[in-house]
Amino acid sequence: MIELKDVSKIYNEGRPNEVRAVTDVTLTIPARRVTVFKGPSGSGKTTLLTLVGCLARPTEGRILLDGELISSLPERFMTEVRRRTFGFVFQRFNLIRGLSVLENVMIPAYPLGPDYTELKSRAMDLLARLKLDHKARMKTEYLSGGESQRVAIARALINDPEWIIADEPTANLDSKLALQFLDEVRQLKEAGKSVIITSHDDRIVNADVVDMVVEMEDGRIIGIEERATS
Amino acid sequence: MRHWLARQRYLVDFTLAALLRRKGRNLMLLFIYTLVIFILASVTFFGSALRHEARTVLKGAPEVTVQNLVMGRHAMAPPEWVEKLKKVRGARRVEGRLWGYFYDKANGANYTVMVPSQYDRRNALQDGETIIGAGIARVRDVRRIGHLFLLSPKGKLMKLKVKRILPETSELVSADLVLMSRGDFLRFFDLPQNGGYTDIAMQVRNRNEVTKIVEKISKMLPTARVITRDDVLRTYENVFSWREGVVLAMLSAALVAFAIFAFDKASGLSAEERREIGILKAVGWETSDILAMKLWEGGLVSLFAFIFGVAAAYAHVFLFDAGVLAPVLKGWSVLYPQFSLTPQVDRLQLATLAFVTVIPFTAATLVPIWKAAITDPDVVMR
Amino acid sequence: MRKSTAAMIVLAGGLVLLLLEVVHGVWRNGADAPARGERAELVRALGLSDLALFTEARYTRHPTQADLFTPFQDAPLSLEHFPTGSLIAPPRDFGPSGRFATEQEK
Repeated sequence: MIELKDVSKIYNEGRPNEVRAVTDVTLTIPARRVTVFKGPSGSGKTTLLTLVGCLARPTEGRILLDGELISSLPERFMTEVRRRTFGFVFQRFNLIRGLSVLENVMIPAYPLGPDYTELKSRAMDLLARLKLDHKARMKTEYLSGGESQRVAIARALINDPEWIIADEPTANLDSKLALQFLDEVRQLKEAGKSVIITSHDDRIVNADVVDMVVEMEDGRIIGIEERATS
Repeated sequence: MRHWLARQRYLVDFTLAALLRRKGRNLMLLFIYTLVIFILASVTFFGSALRHEARTVLKGAPEVTVQNLVMGRHAMAPPEWVEKLKKVRGARRVEGRLWGYFYDKANGANYTVMVPSQYDRRNALQDGETIIGAGIARVRDVRRIGHLFLLSPKGKLMKLKVKRILPETSELVSADLVLMSRGDFLRFFDLPQNGGYTDIAMQVRNRNEVTKIVEKISKMLPTARVITRDDVLRTYENVFSWREGVVLAMLSAALVAFAIFAFDKASGLSAEERREIGILKAVGWETSDILAMKLWEGGLVSLFAFIFGVAAAYAHVFLFDAGVLAPVLKGWSVLYPQFSLTPQVDRLQLATLAFVTVIPFTAATLVPIWKAAITDPDVVMR
Repeated sequence: MRKSTAAMIVLAGGLVLLLLEVVHGVWRNGADAPARGERAELVRALGLSDLALFTEARYTRHPTQADLFTPFQDAPLSLEHFPTGSLIAPPRDFGPSGRFATEQEK
């Protein structure tokens, strides 16, 4: 479970281009559920996502992961937490160009220094599950949009994190691929993972796999909808 | 420990994959880096070997040589000097020497013409005979002819039978020598019988007394210039030295090329590189991981360039007789000795070379990413 | 093959090469000794003072016998014009003669 208490994030504080991306957010995100942050662009949902995923620190307030305070940890520990707990799927996939699919998937594990054979087979398993194992050696610039996203998902899963965080995952996908993505989310939930997604895509918001929808506007939460799902 | 080693290997995997993305450019840079090391190491090796050769071989040079200076210019030493010098306490063997230069108009070469010492039985010569260096034999095709023809400065033709050619292995000291009898020498250069000597060589009983003896000679013969064996050896300590002329020019050029190269590397990151560092941080790499990765990049390239540059330089100088440097050494000479140098390596110079190239290059690789490496990864999300 | 493995192999190959060269160097030093001895003997017998390396000009041929003035024996403005003259300089210290005594020595 992730708890946010009175969290705010201000960019460029004190300067002429100061911006309050998120203001006074108090929220509890349940584990092993699919949560969606909904809102128009500029509503602060992406910023909230970066705060939850330890990519940035809140300017005010506290964030707790399973009861432990993580928002004020020194960088080293924050990275450690992030590495083991969160897997990210970025909006623009953010794969590293020039490297192969397999290498991209394995990269998050490099600093942990695992056994190579074991890591490689883990990566190949993930790619097989996402039906991309035959493209393991291909350079990422030759992949289609849908394939790139699946690689991004595989990469997010390599360290077997508890939480999967996806930012606008269907923004660049057609309907068929969007449905495929929801399928993958379902599988993740069934595997016991917790998923947080930001989206203004109704296909996502209204999907039946979603357990909670947090609606945001101008950096504040304007509504929380909890759904009863099986 | 195992994890740390595994981590380093992964960082190397990544850094190599990143370098291979721009294969052509990076291979070219690696080549240039290796070339710079190759040139500098070649010069270092050659210099060390030459200095070592001079040091060991010239140990037999005359202990004391006395020249006569008139108006500050070299002039013949009067024959009386020999008697005077024999009287100096500590002097052992005093001998007037006759030697000079001959410019052969036919091929533009300079020969050193010498009369062997009276004590040198092996090289003793009759009139009409000569012993020559292998370089002259080559340049004048003597092996086929059997005689050496020289046109004296006054226009007289001298025909000398070649009694012997000095061994090729001694070319480094004897390539341009023409030995002839005293009579022939005086006739050739049109010198009077008792006109004096080119210089006077002296052996000394006790080596520690050399300085004292030199002082005595200076007092006795005020116009004399005295050269000791130490002077001879010291002169060659500076050959091909980093501080001298052409070598310094080459070194400076190489370092400038290197500096430009390093500057290009250090001139900031592209947006793409910045983004990539953001991605790495977002997927869980720490600042230290990114820095270590870059350190490996600089380190591996340097290591490769150094190892292969030095190996190639060694092969170049000691297996291929420094073919690339030969024109520098030859200068405008027509007569050039054929020789192979014995491998000698100055470890200090090699270490300096490593220091002067590896450290700046690694710094150049590391410095630009420092700032990006410590930035927060949420930049990636924007 | 992992890229790090390939790199290690290449670098190891380079180190082996260097090692071979070290061995070669040691061997050559031994093998060249007799010839060098011969050269040293010739130097001693003939009373030679210089290597026969720079035969372009008189003063480049015997740098140990020359002094700073020698290049100018040709002409007063005859600046150093032979290439090899830049490779070796005359001895900096000529001992007690051959130049004027410096203030310290007087």
